[in-house]
Amino acid sequence: MLAYVVRRLGYGCFVVLGVLFFLFALFFLVTTPDDIAQRALGEKAMPQVVERWKENHGYNRPLWPGPGHTTDNLLVDHFQKMLTFEFGNSDADGVPIRQRISEGALPSLLLTVPMFVIGITLGIGISLFVAFFRETYIDRLGVFVSVLTMSIPLLLYIIGGQFLLGKMLRWFPVSGFDLHPGVLARFLALPILVGVLSSLGSDVRFFRTVFIEEIFKDYVRTARAKGAGEMRVMTGHVLRNAMIPVVTNVVMAIPFLFTGSLLLEAGFGIPGLGSLTVEAIQANDFSTLRAMVFLGSLLFIFGQILTDIAYTWVDPRIRLE
Amino acid sequence: MRAAATVFGVALALGCSNNPYPDQDDDRKVLYLPFSEPPKTLDPALAYSTADHAITGKVYDTLLEYHYLKRPYELVGGLAQSVPEPHVLPDGGVEYRFELRPDLWFQNDPCFALVGAPKRRIVADDFVFELQRLADPALASPVVDPFSVLRGFVEFSTKLKARRAADPEFGKLRIDLQYQRAGGFSGARSDGPAALVITLDRPYPQILYWFAMNFSSPMPWEAVAHYDGKQGRPQLSEHPVSSGPFVVGLYEKRARIVLDANPEWYGARHPEWHAPGAIFPSTEGVVGLSAAEKERLDASQGLRLPALARIEYRREEESIPAFSKFLQGYYDMSAVVRESFNRVIQEGGLSEDMKRQGMQLEKSVVPAVYYIGFNMDDAVVGRQAGEKSKLLRQALSLAIDSTEYLRLFSNGRGLPAHSPLPPGLFGYDPAYRNPYRSVDLKKAAELLTRAGYPEGIDSATGRALRLTFDVPDTSPEGRLRFLFWTNQWRRLGIDVQLSATNYNKFQEKVRDGAYQIFQWGWVADYPDPENFLFLLTTPMARSVSQGPNTANFKNATYDRLFEQMRTLENGPERRALLDQMRGIVEDERPWIELFHPEDYALVQGWLKNVRPVGLSIPTAKYYDIDPAQRRARRTAWNEPVLAPAFALVALLLLLLVPAVRTFMKERQ
Repeated sequence: MLAYVVRRLGYGCFVVLGVLFFLFALFFLVTTPDDIAQRALGEKAMPQVVERWKENHGYNRPLWPGPGHTTDNLLVDHFQKMLTFEFGNSDADGVPIRQRISEGALPSLLLTVPMFVIGITLGIGISLFVAFFRETYIDRLGVFVSVLTMSIPLLLYIIGGQFLLGKMLRWFPVSGFDLHPGVLARFLALPILVGVLSSLGSDVRFFRTVFIEEIFKDYVRTARAKGAGEMRVMTGHVLRNAMIPVVTNVVMAIPFLFTGSLLLEAGFGIPGLGSLTVEAIQANDFSTLRAMVFLGSLLFIFGQILTDIAYTWVDPRIRLE
Repeated sequence: MRAAATVFGVALALGCSNNPYPDQDDDRKVLYLPFSEPPKTLDPALAYSTADHAITGKVYDTLLEYHYLKRPYELVGGLAQSVPEPHVLPDGGVEYRFELRPDLWFQNDPCFALVGAPKRRIVADDFVFELQRLADPALASPVVDPFSVLRGFVEFSTKLKARRAADPEFGKLRIDLQYQRAGGFSGARSDGPAALVITLDRPYPQILYWFAMNFSSPMPWEAVAHYDGKQGRPQLSEHPVSSGPFVVGLYEKRARIVLDANPEWYGARHPEWHAPGAIFPSTEGVVGLSAAEKERLDASQGLRLPALARIEYRREEESIPAFSKFLQGYYDMSAVVRESFNRVIQEGGLSEDMKRQGMQLEKSVVPAVYYIGFNMDDAVVGRQAGEKSKLLRQALSLAIDSTEYLRLFSNGRGLPAHSPLPPGLFGYDPAYRNPYRSVDLKKAAELLTRAGYPEGIDSATGRALRLTFDVPDTSPEGRLRFLFWTNQWRRLGIDVQLSATNYNKFQEKVRDGAYQIFQWGWVADYPDPENFLFLLTTPMARSVSQGPNTANFKNATYDRLFEQMRTLENGPERRALLDQMRGIVEDERPWIELFHPEDYALVQGWLKNVRPVGLSIPTAKYYDIDPAQRRARRTAWNEPVLAPAFALVALLLLLLVPAVRTFMKERQ
């Protein structure tokens, strides 16, 4: 298995290098160092100030390697900084990017971890329940509601949740975030609820299909024939054997808990890593954006390897070679 | 069952609350405000955006400030005891002497451990140090240009750069020592601890307005040396060491910023001075106030400032949630969001619903101008085509209906513009009507014919004259706004094509001079006509210096009049020059002046002393709050509605019971 992991990590390195190159090329295809400087300094900044800013931030160098500047160019600098995890300071406000990431990680995790745990628990629970009552009105209603909730875009959930539960019924604050223990739960309740509801439909549909497929297999019939109760059949046999697709779905999502949720964080004003990425795009903040994309690609590769390892855990017949 | 419902109801009532704040501040004078964009920096030498200034303006005090109530704007003493008079030197330079107030202190801060004390007095050298920072090339301050008029400023900047390049050890010295060894510059010097002497190379009366901004606020060298972002210390841009009415108590700029009243501020330490910026002013001599306003403001006359104990800023990235929280009483002020405009504003005033809730509406015209510009370097609309292009620009100007635009896209908020100068500035004439700024399609058609484009047809091609309008907005809403202008020109038979790109691409076009018609705006830095009219001077042209004269308007007479006007005091002579300049712009039409925007601010009934100022001037120290009224209204407005929760639970039970019964039956 070690050889497999090492090989996957090797492939992953190429993916990361490719992502970094494409990020650089695409970013500078639509923007220039002058734009970065102008956005950081404001529209009223005079040309000499823009030049000075570029000089101070190293953006006065050529973009690509060329005669006389094979190493002293922005592309080489970009790779050097990312591969040594030297993220530097934000182009927008000069704050160290590591500091921004460490500040944003906690709010993101406070949102995504409960959302993930509650979502998976409810998703599995409801789909087991629906599968148990298959081909009854519960099953049909479950599928109908799942498809309905899947069809609604997340943005509508956010606006609807804020309007109905925040503004009209006044159960939760409309938006915002505060780590103060007296109000933290209040702030998180609505975004977590919205996040769970918006993803529950697709989870229930997927898990239900997996469970129903298992229910008709021979070993389930055998278990029933041996006198096992329905509850035991569902939780002890069906659930355990349906774990491979469930784990694939679940483990892949774990690393991305760190990067937060772009829309939920932006919609509810949660200062996590998702909204940090959105802000970096809006502010032409290349330094922050590349750090976030780099972390995202690393997490993606890590998630894939983690998923493969999890296969062997839930199904001992699988060997990674 | 009943008990379970009661427990559920109690739990829901306790757990459910839309109050975003812990309750302990309910009885304190805390002002709650939303902010959408976090400040980029709190370093006063660099902070230039409105988002930055919302914080720096409150925590850094300035030598001069604006009278809170008087319009047109009037400077009064701040950290300086009074507004200094210019003293003309034999060599043509001008000197200003600022006498500082006695007993001025910086806030308590650990950086003063460098001099072995928890806090330190402010001396004139702290202003000199900050002005030297503005010249420091390593800092890239955005206001190098206006301060370059200080004697020796540019030379000092060049010397610093050269010494750092020549001697790396020099660059490692403590920052104040670097400035000392580079010799400083004679345009900013102290005369003892309580007098700051500023010398300008040439007369520039507008420099006083720059001393009412934070760029020249006193800065302790200890703060710059200590807060360098190394070894766990924050950067100065995130940790101000200030002397204003408020100090930064908490700075989590992506979520929350807290400002606390500063006990070391001179107004708090010495209310007996009755300094103009430390006591709520009298309305005596203030023109333009209604009797009700006068009565309201006079109620606070003599109030010790700041009246607030704290200001809490909460981040709201989207405007609608922020406005919802304002309506629930959780913010004390708000702009009017477009989506709720008709509910809030009716017939130009507050709706009955809002009045019932005790809200107040404060309107103010922003000292800004939005305009459509022509690239005067362009072969068709620019100066190369001579009289022909001038007639074309005049015709295009006559087709534009700003009033209709404001009605359609801005709920009528704004004044149609007739000249570059907005209301509130010297030189603005409310009675002036630009002959090319009222819609007259007949006259426009005549001008087009004279220009060689009868009915919009270009005689050279036999087809409709085709022009390009470059815009930095590709959104559907932006497109709709810009199409409004092009459709107005279409009525003349001219085919104006929109070339919509993203902002970066647009900037690139502007840098390369590859544009024909564009739309832009300018918001005043300070209330002087010079700050608007310089936008059309030759040295500021994009094609000359990449300056803000995007129209590339170059007119020798205009430039000469501008140079005369900029150094004059406000009076009839200056007025006459301004009128002449206005006449040139009126006739040449490098711009089609569109509108001066108008701000509508909604203020909760419990917030007192709000007077809109238009300019980005810190005013929060004048505000006062009635916390008891706020608490009572918040409670009344935010009772949770629990009935739907019970209905939801009942519905779920109703759905599940038959299923469970079926299951039990099957089991049996």
